[in-house]
Amino acid sequence: MTEDVFVVSAAMIPFGKHRSSSYVGLAVSPLVDALRGAGMEKSDVDAVYVGHSIGGMMTGQRICKEIGLGTVPTVNVDNACSSGATAIHEAWTAISQGLIDVAVVVGVEKLTQFGGGTLPLSPEDREVKQGIVMPAVYAMRATRYLHETEATVEDLALVSVKARKHGALNPFAQFRSEVTVDQVLSARPVADPLTLLMCCPTGDGAAVVVLASERARNRLATPKAIRVAASILHSGEVEEGYRDMTMPEISQHSARDAYAMAAIGPEDLDMIELHDAFSIAELVYYEAFGLAERGRAVDLLRDGKTTFGGDVVVNPSGGLLSKGHPVGASGVAQVAEAFWQLTGVAGARQIEDARWAMTHVTGGGTAGLDHGACTIHIFEGV
Amino acid sequence: MTSKREATVSRPNADLESDSLLGSFPDGPRLVGTKCDRCGRAMIGVRVVCSTCVGTDVSRIELPTTGVLYTFTRLHVGGDGVRILGYVDLDDDVRTLADLRENGTPLQPGLRVELGVDGDNWFFAPVSGATEGQSDD
Repeated sequence: MTEDVFVVSAAMIPFGKHRSSSYVGLAVSPLVDALRGAGMEKSDVDAVYVGHSIGGMMTGQRICKEIGLGTVPTVNVDNACSSGATAIHEAWTAISQGLIDVAVVVGVEKLTQFGGGTLPLSPEDREVKQGIVMPAVYAMRATRYLHETEATVEDLALVSVKARKHGALNPFAQFRSEVTVDQVLSARPVADPLTLLMCCPTGDGAAVVVLASERARNRLATPKAIRVAASILHSGEVEEGYRDMTMPEISQHSARDAYAMAAIGPEDLDMIELHDAFSIAELVYYEAFGLAERGRAVDLLRDGKTTFGGDVVVNPSGGLLSKGHPVGASGVAQVAEAFWQLTGVAGARQIEDARWAMTHVTGGGTAGLDHGACTIHIFEGV
Repeated sequence: MTSKREATVSRPNADLESDSLLGSFPDGPRLVGTKCDRCGRAMIGVRVVCSTCVGTDVSRIELPTTGVLYTFTRLHVGGDGVRILGYVDLDDDVRTLADLRENGTPLQPGLRVELGVDGDNWFFAPVSGATEGQSDD
């Protein structure tokens, strides 16, 4: 018997290059805002889960001590791009099992500490030693996808155009200007066929959500809530030989399990925040999530089915491509977007009558795996 | 007071000894692989355990010098100039990341490719007269 879990508050800073802020500097203000938004005192918090991938030792404790939040367990969670969402999954697990009532989840990352370039991967990995970088992984996925389907580089550009159109409406987004297909295609090449505008930017960010049990939600009279209908975490399965890079099995299986847990299907979703680290990812995930048949993702994109006014708005926030992708923060930021959309405070990007939202992040960069981690959550407005 | 039974002493695997996948074999330099003596799975690199059946009786093998190009990219970041990287499905169903050279044949997924060795560097390039779709399409 598991108990219902609710997100009762969300806060974040706009993603961007916040060079003068430390991990603590990035996270403290949304931490305070999230607690206030929930109408809670720090004494109401039973546990803290902090997702970050490269913040160093005790990042969570360094943040929490700034507001004198101690004694309760603070758990630091690394799962690369899934770090923040994994932290939410851990909080959900503890609350749904009745072990605790209130958890604060922080997602935070500071990528400008590296001065630019691609995300540093583990130097112990075989393919990293050979020179793999994340843009190359997604570029190879794109090469194969374009080889097998009718999709073109213009479709890859169209993903970025949509992301930037959405991001232009989002005060939390790193990029707030629209771009054209021509601008995307003529941008600097990064890894063919991907240009710079088909890649998520380097940036810093922090997002915080508060999760609570039904009991705590009632006791503390939290002003707003959405229900966690599914929380799924999968790990990558090694493949020594042939792998179909156009069908990421880890995301496909995670989505299948999430739909089963929520007892809904892809057709029920009003919005999805998915892991568009590079534009090809969005097309591949339409198919992995069952929104489109194999090879037909471009139909949804070209027909505007996944933007405002369509069947399901994919990445209303602008996604990783436009909102930005401070690795460990992204999974929490996606849930913040779902919270705001389902509670009707998404401003210019509000999806009308949104009831069901799905959030999805992966975490990659390991030889033999499609991705190392995948976290999917489904939320219902209440 | 002593116990007649002792816990197994697990041993570290010196997997950092060599960064190169290229090794010496009677036939010449080849990519190093590992084959599971129990289930027969071939894998890239030096391993001490089979990732399929968890068998620990494994043998060092030379991997095939030919395969099919699954996908590739021209990488413009992270180094000097442009580097072509791709995944090659070797003929014993082992996939490896590899540097690629064109050797006059434009690269495309599905091309038959073969191992080339240039000093300490290795790469794959289209076999002469290669056409697409010889084993994966």
